Amino acid sequence: MKVTRRQFLKVTGATAASFALVDLGFNLQATASAVKELRIKNVTPVPTVCPYCASGCGLVVYSERDAEGKFVKLLSVHGDPDNPINQGGACSKGAAMFNLREIYDEHTGEQIVNPKRVQKPLYRAAGTDKWVEKDWDWMLDQIAQRVKETRDNSFIHKETIADGSEVIVNRTEKIASIGGSGLDNEECYLLTKMMRALGLVYLETQARI
Amino acid sequence: MANLTNLYDVSKCTACRGCMVACKDWNQLPAVIEPFKGNYDTHGGDTNGDTYTVVRFIEGEDPVDGVYWKFLKYQCMHCLEPACMKVCPQGAYSKTSWGATFHDPEKCIGCQYCTYACPFMIPKYRKREDKISKCTLCVDRVEEGLTPACARTCPTAALKFGDRDELLAEAEERAKFLRANGFPRATIYGRVELGGLNKLYVLTDSPDKFGLPVDPKVPGQISFWQNWIQPYFGWLIPIALGGSAISFVTTRILANKNGDHTEGGHE
Amino acid sequence: MTNHIVDLKNTDCALIMGSNAAENHPISMKWLLRAREQRNAKIIHVDPRYTRTSTKADIYAPLRSGTDIAFLGGMIKYIIDNERYHKEYVLAYTNASFLVKEEFGFEDGLFSGYDADNRKYDVSSWDYQYDESGLPMKDPTLQNPRCVFQLMKKHYERYDIDTVCQITGTPKKKYLEVLEAYSATGAPDKTGTIMYAMGITQHTVGSQNVRSFAMVQLLLGNMGRPGGGVNALRGENNVQGATDMALLFHIIPGYIDSPTNGPDNKDLLAYIRKATPGAGKLQFDTLEEFRELVKAGFPNSGFKINTSKWMISLLKAWWGDAAIAENDYAYHYMPKRDANKNYSHIAMFEAMHKGEIDGLFVNGTNPVVGGPNANKEQEALSKLKWMVSIDLWLNETADFWTYPAWERPVENENVPKLSAADIQTEVFFLPAAAVFEKEGTAAQTGRWVQYRWQAADPVGESKADLWIYNELGKKIKSLYASSSKPEDEAITKLAWNYDDEHGHDDILKVAAELCGVNVSDGLPVEGFANLKDDGSTACGCWVYCGAMTYKDGEVIYKTKLRDNKDNSKEGLGLFSNWAWAWPVNRRIVYNRCSISPDGVTPWPGDEKRVLIHWDAAAGSWVGDDVCDTGKTSPPEKALPFIMRPEGMGCFFAAKSSMKDGPFPEHYEPWESPTANAMNKQNLNPATKVWEPDKQGTPDKYPIIATTYRVVEHWQTGALTRNLPWLAELMPDMMIEMSEQLAREKGIKNGRKVIVSTTRGDIEAVACVTKRFKPFNIHGQEVHEIGLLWHYGFKGFATGDPANRLTPHIGCANTMIPEYKAFLCDVRRA
Repeated sequence: MKVTRRQFLKVTGATAASFALVDLGFNLQATASAVKELRIKNVTPVPTVCPYCASGCGLVVYSERDAEGKFVKLLSVHGDPDNPINQGGACSKGAAMFNLREIYDEHTGEQIVNPKRVQKPLYRAAGTDKWVEKDWDWMLDQIAQRVKETRDNSFIHKETIADGSEVIVNRTEKIASIGGSGLDNEECYLLTKMMRALGLVYLETQARI
Repeated sequence: MANLTNLYDVSKCTACRGCMVACKDWNQLPAVIEPFKGNYDTHGGDTNGDTYTVVRFIEGEDPVDGVYWKFLKYQCMHCLEPACMKVCPQGAYSKTSWGATFHDPEKCIGCQYCTYACPFMIPKYRKREDKISKCTLCVDRVEEGLTPACARTCPTAALKFGDRDELLAEAEERAKFLRANGFPRATIYGRVELGGLNKLYVLTDSPDKFGLPVDPKVPGQISFWQNWIQPYFGWLIPIALGGSAISFVTTRILANKNGDHTEGGHE
Repeated sequence: MTNHIVDLKNTDCALIMGSNAAENHPISMKWLLRAREQRNAKIIHVDPRYTRTSTKADIYAPLRSGTDIAFLGGMIKYIIDNERYHKEYVLAYTNASFLVKEEFGFEDGLFSGYDADNRKYDVSSWDYQYDESGLPMKDPTLQNPRCVFQLMKKHYERYDIDTVCQITGTPKKKYLEVLEAYSATGAPDKTGTIMYAMGITQHTVGSQNVRSFAMVQLLLGNMGRPGGGVNALRGENNVQGATDMALLFHIIPGYIDSPTNGPDNKDLLAYIRKATPGAGKLQFDTLEEFRELVKAGFPNSGFKINTSKWMISLLKAWWGDAAIAENDYAYHYMPKRDANKNYSHIAMFEAMHKGEIDGLFVNGTNPVVGGPNANKEQEALSKLKWMVSIDLWLNETADFWTYPAWERPVENENVPKLSAADIQTEVFFLPAAAVFEKEGTAAQTGRWVQYRWQAADPVGESKADLWIYNELGKKIKSLYASSSKPEDEAITKLAWNYDDEHGHDDILKVAAELCGVNVSDGLPVEGFANLKDDGSTACGCWVYCGAMTYKDGEVIYKTKLRDNKDNSKEGLGLFSNWAWAWPVNRRIVYNRCSISPDGVTPWPGDEKRVLIHWDAAAGSWVGDDVCDTGKTSPPEKALPFIMRPEGMGCFFAAKSSMKDGPFPEHYEPWESPTANAMNKQNLNPATKVWEPDKQGTPDKYPIIATTYRVVEHWQTGALTRNLPWLAELMPDMMIEMSEQLAREKGIKNGRKVIVSTTRGDIEAVACVTKRFKPFNIHGQEVHEIGLLWHYGFKGFATGDPANRLTPHIGCANTMIPEYKAFLCDVRRA
């Protein structure tokens, strides 16, 4: 792969979106002094695609960033008016995307990170009744070791097949993988490649359930 | 400046309730989670302090047409002559130049008199702030040239936003079309009711079939209050009122004037 | 979808069947309502229950769950009997005129070649008659009794309107309205679309349900035309992409058969002979000889004649420099599954339940809520040694070992009550970033592959899945780094280079590999026609080839394109410059059929819906869409269905296309309240029965149950019940039932009920509604109830999973579970 990241990045710029902030085609003088200032004013939205049904509606995410451009918090998530599939529309699920990351607290009304989101890797040891926080490195090391151990102990390298000849079959039936329909294509691709290289044949996604 | 309004066409609404969530997203409202009660309505089909708009589900059976399931988006009607504004002792309500009935929480003392005055029972008390809240017609968005969040998100364009006169003409056309195409009783709502609403509806049946008051009226005592009591309330109230909801209101007003702002327990 | 979402606006009539489009694909209604407004289109909804979709339909027709083939078989008969079919289309673009072998037959519900002991068919008689040159024989008059058209007509003779309505429970008047309205799209100037979802596929006859749609659409001339098509509304945002990338046991990326341990897959050449249609009868001993044959072309191959190029480019992408001609391009590194074994979801959990599986990766899925027979699947997890769960939240599967996971509303001897101490499974939970906290592409249901940019930082230490897999891949590779064992070569030699110069994962490196690059310079391969089988191209998934292009010194990932001007001159809404669609940015597949056979004359009265036409002067097909036939093949040779060996749309599914018959035939669901009135077989004869002892019978379980979703939640609810705004809208597990059934059972609206099957029991709130009505089946009143399958014990909205009730049995072809029709009983809690 000899194409550099820089070349790719140029592409992003070339196809950058135009986001019309004005829907109505006119502006009104503020009439009520108490009206809050538009919190997405001068905020450039970032386009994404809805993670629910497969219609592929575009959504735009407005967020607050600090002077250095560092992400602070979400402001609002809307349907993407430029996307020809939904032209700005969003059903209850699409319109609720803000809650995927942040919520307004029921008692205080404060904007907080969704408390159900897990923020650290968690490990549950055999037979115990609790989760323990671990760091990523430890987790990935442990998982890699489990994979190797199970694979090596169950690996079928060669097999005598129906015509009597011996062929390489390179598979393990002791490890399985499910899911992936909520992932991006590039992620699915790495998953399918890694799992098959390990010899998995029990490989399934939500397409079948 | 012509009025700007929402036009809601029930014949195109699929009750996806995107409007309900988009409203919460834009107006930064928490969820109010209550148990399922046997139909799809949330909060009994009513608004509350953290829910400015709801979609109502109306199920029934017609001897000829069979089963029906009607949907109705319900929220502040932004009446052209709003009763809430007339009764508010603090002047928290105002009309924008383009027709929204705006409620200013800074001025609100949580007396809740508007909740009794509204023919649609829309303004609701928000306990955590001890204030009234309701649909703003996304005044902050509209004044910057954006459509309200509910109209913006509607997938099927059942909900539109724009010039009231133009939308009224469109609504008349649409109702005419529906009358000729399977909905003989199709009509519009909001043109004349209460002197005109700044929310227009295209209905596939008469308003009562959607639970809308056919001839909405401001409760009688409201005009009494507005014409007689409000101008003199500083001294008349203690004499005029007894132990009703109104006395609660007056107590609130007096308490507020004394800077004694207690937690409200009246919902 | 053969067409796409926006294209729904071009239809004259939509048949929505097995789908609740308004709730589960809300935006589709935007375009359907537009079709109604602008084209006076009709909307038909066929469903056991009156839903939010039904409210927008011109005709609503109820049918009993699991009787779609009866319904559609009757429609096929009606179309043929009343000559509503599009004659010129049927003759030119389908296999109606093909002659079928004399040995093929059908009797008592069984097609020829049935092996009752193994519940399998020998499909050799399900084939055409061939001439000396090896091409199928035809009768263009359609009169020969062995021609497909006559066999089809005979097959559906039994599907008369009265029989059909007795089976489906559809009121006859409603059925006739549907037949009349939909068959009107057979006129050459009309098109009709069929929209379906899991209501069609989640049956023991799921694939044949879809086949019935295809047959109706071919008869009416609705395939390959704007406003037409067989349109699967897929359920997850990138389930299309996950399928394209073959996260499925039976295929590898690009819908290529996954290798098996059969003799016909023993080496690369054998594999190519087997996987390439038409290659079986050819003489060749080397890849070079085979290439010459491909170059010359051979009969009955179709576009899959290129399989060797797709396969070798894939091997090259995976094993890079280690994939060379001398080692069959590393073909042997690819796992070969047992040819006689099924590894699908149900089979996997059956094996897990027996303790045959030690480790499991759970990638953003939730079988404790979503898997069929969820009690059993949950118990199966407890037999694992280790499990890795990657998700945003601790869903019911990640937390399957906790106390609430084993709580049940009533004691049931079939369901164990385990505690954490009993469960020896180690669980690793990896917190994943949400969709807008990372970047990448997703393929929506109309095959548009759109880019999603990163808009926010991941919460806490959560990470993009891409980072997780990349890092895990590196860790595993490093554990094997010192190995020189041949059995480890698939790992040690695996090409795994996705880091940029700073050691961060680079998504565009992954994208480039999956879209295809020339090995020599690393630049994109410009479309799959340029893929080679000599190791000079590397491409992880050939159907995505062309999504990346090199122009003026820049690489462009076309999934990022955001030009939303409609390029079609007639305003058909193709939007070809918005993102990229596979294959080759074709927006409507089989579009050769959008014009009459001569390639020049539009279908009479339908000039505006022509997608491509033959330009004789230029010697090529031109038009607003990318042509779906040989670009330079003249009209008489330009076949319309190039992925089929015969190049035609198939009423008769020849050879091994289907496991359970060349024509769809009505069979009852595994659990049914009635015997099959159409033939002597109750259950699809080719379906595997996993748990014979778990079959519920109508004496104990007289009520039909089906599962479905609502707009406010999604799938197992992990991504919606954890969102307060959505939990607010649908806060509790509920089941819908008719007023009649509620009266019979003394059930009150809004009160708790218990639903039981042989697999388990759940508690839920009753929603008693006029929208569910009892069916009249052969004169008997039969009740059906509906269950939401979104709920579990985690999140802001909770409830019992409906799938604790559903069976472990699936479609004969795909093994998709029969979630949509099973037997239960219901009582007050």
